[in-house]
Amino acid sequence: MPEATTLRTLSDPGHAGPASRLSRLAPVHWLALIFLVAALGFAAVAWATGNGFYLRLATEALIFAGLAMSVDLLLGYTGLLSLGQALYFGLGAYVSALVLRDVAPSFWLAMAAALLAGGMAGLIGGVIANRVKGVYFALITFGLAQVAAKTVYNTRALGASDGLIGIPQIRVGFGPVSLDTADPLSFFLLVLGLTVTAYAGLSYLMDAPFGRTLAAIRANEKRVPFLGFNAWRYKLAVYVLAACVAALAGALYPMLRGFVSPELMFFETSGNAVITVIVGGVGTLVGPVMGSLLLTALRSVVGSWTEHHLIVVGVIFMLSVIFLRKGLVGALLARLSRRGEAGRTAP
Amino acid sequence: MTAASLKTTPITATAGNACALGVRDLSVNFGGLQAVAGVGFEAAAGRITSVIGPNGAGKSTLFNLISGAIRPTGGRVTLDGVDVTGRSPDRLLAAGLARSFQITNLFFELPVLENLRIAAQVLERPWHALRPVGHSRRALAKADALLERFGLSAKARELAGNLSHGEQRRLEIAVALAAEPRVLLLDEPTQGMSHGDTADTGALIRSLAGDLTVLLIEHDIGLVMSLSDHVVVMAQGRKIAEGPPAVVRADLAVQAAYFGHG
Repeated sequence: MPEATTLRTLSDPGHAGPASRLSRLAPVHWLALIFLVAALGFAAVAWATGNGFYLRLATEALIFAGLAMSVDLLLGYTGLLSLGQALYFGLGAYVSALVLRDVAPSFWLAMAAALLAGGMAGLIGGVIANRVKGVYFALITFGLAQVAAKTVYNTRALGASDGLIGIPQIRVGFGPVSLDTADPLSFFLLVLGLTVTAYAGLSYLMDAPFGRTLAAIRANEKRVPFLGFNAWRYKLAVYVLAACVAALAGALYPMLRGFVSPELMFFETSGNAVITVIVGGVGTLVGPVMGSLLLTALRSVVGSWTEHHLIVVGVIFMLSVIFLRKGLVGALLARLSRRGEAGRTAP
Repeated sequence: MTAASLKTTPITATAGNACALGVRDLSVNFGGLQAVAGVGFEAAAGRITSVIGPNGAGKSTLFNLISGAIRPTGGRVTLDGVDVTGRSPDRLLAAGLARSFQITNLFFELPVLENLRIAAQVLERPWHALRPVGHSRRALAKADALLERFGLSAKARELAGNLSHGEQRRLEIAVALAAEPRVLLLDEPTQGMSHGDTADTGALIRSLAGDLTVLLIEHDIGLVMSLSDHVVVMAQGRKIAEGPPAVVRADLAVQAAYFGHG
């Protein structure tokens, strides 16, 4: 996928000297900053107009953005197409739901448990999936998720096809202050904060030598061992990382919805995440976030007109693959850099 | 460590130079085809040893066996006396063996500097992989030095895929050098190069020897004869002759197999 590379080159601060920090901020991060400001503006307007519905919808979009970011780590940075990332998202959601309902209504305990489960499952899944490459990798990830989804679907203790309901709303404590997941604005801001943290942390990691070795694997995996890297270990590491991100995102889902269902693990969830990444911009991390907001909004708006909203999503996916080769973010960045160049050439 | 003593061995000590890379009875068959059959030789430390032979002689397969790309079905490879037969390429690199490829094998979608930085990253401590790239000072300095040495400084930010063929061939060698190996395998480094570039590359390879043990596959016989300290001749998967360039050139079997027709 050479499109992704050009984006990375744009976002590559390179080995430039100690220039001022702001001017070194890569264009893609500017986009993330603009996005954050817009999200806060949206929150203010929604709160002022007392519109809880849109806040909760936006929260859901951000939760699925976490899943999309985890797909982007694999697809955009390492060149691995996972068609089963919903496995880890659903796992995180179920573990979180079980902890909140049966163990303790603690946000941090639920997140920690989901992280642990995601990491362990990612390790097992990664060892299995990384035995093969390319299409076979995609098929194995697909198969693993289907097996897990069907198992959950048929397990009465996990609510079978009904899923788990009655997940309590909780208070999230940060030392002296705490917020309520039942309050749409508070929970939106919490999830926004987590999304920004994930974006910043993952961007950092993908720009560190670790992430750049992943880029090397994507560019030419066969060459990597001759440079002293064990490509298999790197691919396993990023697979586990992606599983953890997906599980943490999933852990937030029952806090928002109060229930979990096996659909969270189904292929539709995995497939939607891949579509989100491609529409948003592969290998950018901020692209998947924007893509998730766009597609969630569309699904909701179009869904209120017609049941056949998937047709609209499908058409948008095709159009973006054909006309926005670098996704939403690619198009925006091209515009930004054109404007930047115009500004620089002007005296 | 033997590594240190090898590096300080003066290049003038022709006789009794330590063997940096030893190959003994190395064999592999693909299905029924014996691609490399019982090949053995020693590459003296700090010297240039060349492998020549007609197309299909098994030279590149020999390189693949030595560099861990393919597992041999028989025989041994030793690095400074240590058996490294069948080790994976990344472990061989850690042991000091690097290679270049006949068909340019770079990260074409990454910048030239980044190609070299990635290749030099093994010089850093493992945890530097999780710190900002700027902290990998040694790798960055190495990459800069190689850019300079290979005349690629002006192209540092260019994507490797956008370089000319000659520049890509130079970068291919530079990437192999970035990990500061003690033994370097060069697979037809001058492949497709212009006459001038070939001469430059020859001079460069000459300058590498001394610090480095070079094993070279090369088609340009003039270059091989002027560069090499030792020449191994292969034909149909077997070693048919070896010796100093003058001796090999005079060998009738070599003439028949390689210089042919003339």
